Amino acid sequence: MAFELRDIDAGYGTTQVLRSVTLVVPTGSVVTLLGPNGAGKTTLLRVASGLLAPMRGKIVVDGVDLTGSPPHRLMRAGVAHIPEGRGIFRNLTVQENLLILGPDRTESEAVSLAVDAFPRLGERLSQLAGSLSGGEQQMLALARAYLANPKLVLLDEVSMGLAPRIVDAIFEFIARLTTTGASLLIVEQYIRRALAAADYVYLMDRGRISFAGEPSELTDEEVFNRYMTTSVGL
Amino acid sequence: MSDFYPFIIAGLVSGAVYGLAATGLVLTYKTSGIFNFAHGAMAAAGAYLFYQVRQQWGLPWPVAFVVAVLVAGPIFGLVLERLAHALSGTTTAAKIVATVGLLIGVQGLLAAIYGGETRASRAFLPTKVLSLGSINVGVDQILVFVIAVSITLALTIFLRSSRVGTAMRGVVDDPDLLDLAGTSPTQVRRLAWTIGTLFAALSGVLLAPAVGLDPLLLTLLVVQAFGAAAIGRFASLPLSFVGGLVIGLGQAICSKYVNNVHALAGLPPSLPFIVFFGVLLLTRRGRLVELGALTRKRREATGADRRRIQIAGAVALLALVASVPAFASSRLPVFTAALIYVLVFASLRLLVGTSGQVSLCHVAFAAVGATSFAHFAGGAGLPWAVALLAAGLVAVPVGAFVAIPAIRLSGLYLALATLGFGILMERLVYPMGVMFGVTGLAKAPRPHLGFVNVSSDKGFYLLCLAIVVLGMLLIRVVTQSWIGRVLRAMSDSPLALTTLGSNVNATRVFVFCLSAFLAGIGGALYASFSGTTSGISFTALLSLTLIVVLAINGNGELRAPVGAAFALYVIPSYIRNETFNEYLPVLFGVTAVAVSVLSNQRYDPAARLHNLATASRRRARATRVTLRLRRATEAA
Repeated sequence: MAFELRDIDAGYGTTQVLRSVTLVVPTGSVVTLLGPNGAGKTTLLRVASGLLAPMRGKIVVDGVDLTGSPPHRLMRAGVAHIPEGRGIFRNLTVQENLLILGPDRTESEAVSLAVDAFPRLGERLSQLAGSLSGGEQQMLALARAYLANPKLVLLDEVSMGLAPRIVDAIFEFIARLTTTGASLLIVEQYIRRALAAADYVYLMDRGRISFAGEPSELTDEEVFNRYMTTSVGL
Repeated sequence: MSDFYPFIIAGLVSGAVYGLAATGLVLTYKTSGIFNFAHGAMAAAGAYLFYQVRQQWGLPWPVAFVVAVLVAGPIFGLVLERLAHALSGTTTAAKIVATVGLLIGVQGLLAAIYGGETRASRAFLPTKVLSLGSINVGVDQILVFVIAVSITLALTIFLRSSRVGTAMRGVVDDPDLLDLAGTSPTQVRRLAWTIGTLFAALSGVLLAPAVGLDPLLLTLLVVQAFGAAAIGRFASLPLSFVGGLVIGLGQAICSKYVNNVHALAGLPPSLPFIVFFGVLLLTRRGRLVELGALTRKRREATGADRRRIQIAGAVALLALVASVPAFASSRLPVFTAALIYVLVFASLRLLVGTSGQVSLCHVAFAAVGATSFAHFAGGAGLPWAVALLAAGLVAVPVGAFVAIPAIRLSGLYLALATLGFGILMERLVYPMGVMFGVTGLAKAPRPHLGFVNVSSDKGFYLLCLAIVVLGMLLIRVVTQSWIGRVLRAMSDSPLALTTLGSNVNATRVFVFCLSAFLAGIGGALYASFSGTTSGISFTALLSLTLIVVLAINGNGELRAPVGAAFALYVIPSYIRNETFNEYLPVLFGVTAVAVSVLSNQRYDPAARLHNLATASRRRARATRVTLRLRRATEAA
């Protein structure tokens, strides 16, 4: 699926966050979005999944204008968003979290796919999702998105606050997602890993796209500093 | 023991209906974050619609049932869902005002159409009595109980086992996430409101044959429902249903005991509030969380110029109010009542406007002031001014009694506590000797001051004016002092304030007590003005009307109380049209709903204009820059 944000202005109330942002995720590609705190990365993902309606600009999926569609519409069109923090329903059980997607899958099919991806979830099916460890919660969030057969997955800092071993498991899963043919738009703090996986990279600063290109153009630390006002730890 | 059987059976039956209503209330509150104070009004609307179709139009009862419960219930629910949607993101106070406005509007509409007196709703279920051993049970009682239990059970099973049920619990957890997961939260909420309001209408229809059709009585069913919901901690549907049974049983057994004790006749109807209060006291902080709470919107600071204009306006208004005796002639008593209520409204505004707390029992504080004054000045013969001040002070501990358990929780629970308290006062405490007594009347004298004649109507008016001005100045001093600062800071970040060592709740209680004090003074003045005072002037419904009328008049320190008192007392006295005055509560209610919705920044016309203006300016600038760049490149 080709996904495009065209000339987006967006913000909250009277505060504008994104200023004429254009971003393209070609079919089957992995795009990494980098930028300092407050650059507008999360806001961009919120616009992309329909959580935040843009003030101006277009959201185009496979040539179809889907601007103004609510998240569940975009989700049906194939856009899955794993929001910042833990994208799970804390007061539902693990199993219910997996089933909330809708009537497309049967109960056993959904559960077996999820357990196949993350065996640990299999031991926790009847537990409340809020009682899982941070890593398990993130696995559940990823599994939920995976079950929807997405064509584009928006990942917002999925490795945040997790132990290194869990981060490894999560990146393995991300690699596995790409083999299903899904495109990825990744916002990450582990810049090296995110760049290693990426086909394209976008840099953002203060609500604008300051660089768009291939990761090979960005290996030098100097280049980073040139495009981003705040230096970023690698 | 066998004396108790009929009471137990009646209690279980009405309790099951309360449980049904409570289940609907909790369902809508949990999924939308809007606590529907008008839930009982929906029950009343359902009951009257049933009555209209069946008894006025003479159609068979199944037709009436379909119209009132299966058609009207869901339609009301859909309308309410839209209202709840429009209110999401507003302050707690605005949400409360909107649904209280709806309550006042619907109740007023029913009272205007059908009159305030109780009508009989003919039983529609078979009333044949079955004898099971020594116990006699009506078939209708069995049916009502079975219907209520099975419907609640069905809902619980549906929510536990179906995907829609899972989604409904998901929307409580995180509506945005549910949207991302591919289910529209709006659709889920629509279903919740449809079911919840259908339950309300059904409970009204089931209850009406037993209690009769009385717009106020059925509207206040919401109190039974929230008492029951409190037992379920506003979260659990099955426990809320059990809570309904507990309250129904408790009321029935209680009424058996107090049958011969006249002074306690008000105890059974007050039971839900007592239960609710008990839950508040016993609940640890954090267990009862308000959904989607927001205390207060930010406001721009006032500049020096604005302040000068405000002072000029205040002086002009004062001159106008002071000149009322010159033109009011026979309407002077109306203006005096309005003037006294300016103080009551100002005390209420102090509460709502500065700390975002809502009191739904302010008239009860005024009643405490009125009766205390009557006892002090009329009974004990204290000097007028001393009695007035003492009357205000008596209201302070009463205010603290309601506020302390509720305030540590949140704005919504304070509103619920005060609503219940107002009803408890009216039914249980007003008839007691310390207040209006069994006769319902207490004498209160006019003042005698040596140097000016204040016992005449004109003199008394001016004396009231002086006291009202003093009260308003006191409010001003308090809100401008550290208390005002603490309250403003609190609306920004309660957490930061707490870490700075400020006890926010103590401040809130202080403001609440000050507000009760001023309302008490207002009540005392009112008693002195009318000479005798009775509970009819201080009904719980009036408390609800006050908050609604105040909200309509905005949040101006002076404009709101004066405008509200004018709207409530002066306007109806000039409009001679009986029908218009009957429908006035409907007008108040509808306007309050509209005002609350418009207070939502999403619909704020000013903010929208600002957005549009800055957007076009930004776009214009971008175009200018592009043109300049293009020109520069061409030149190069």
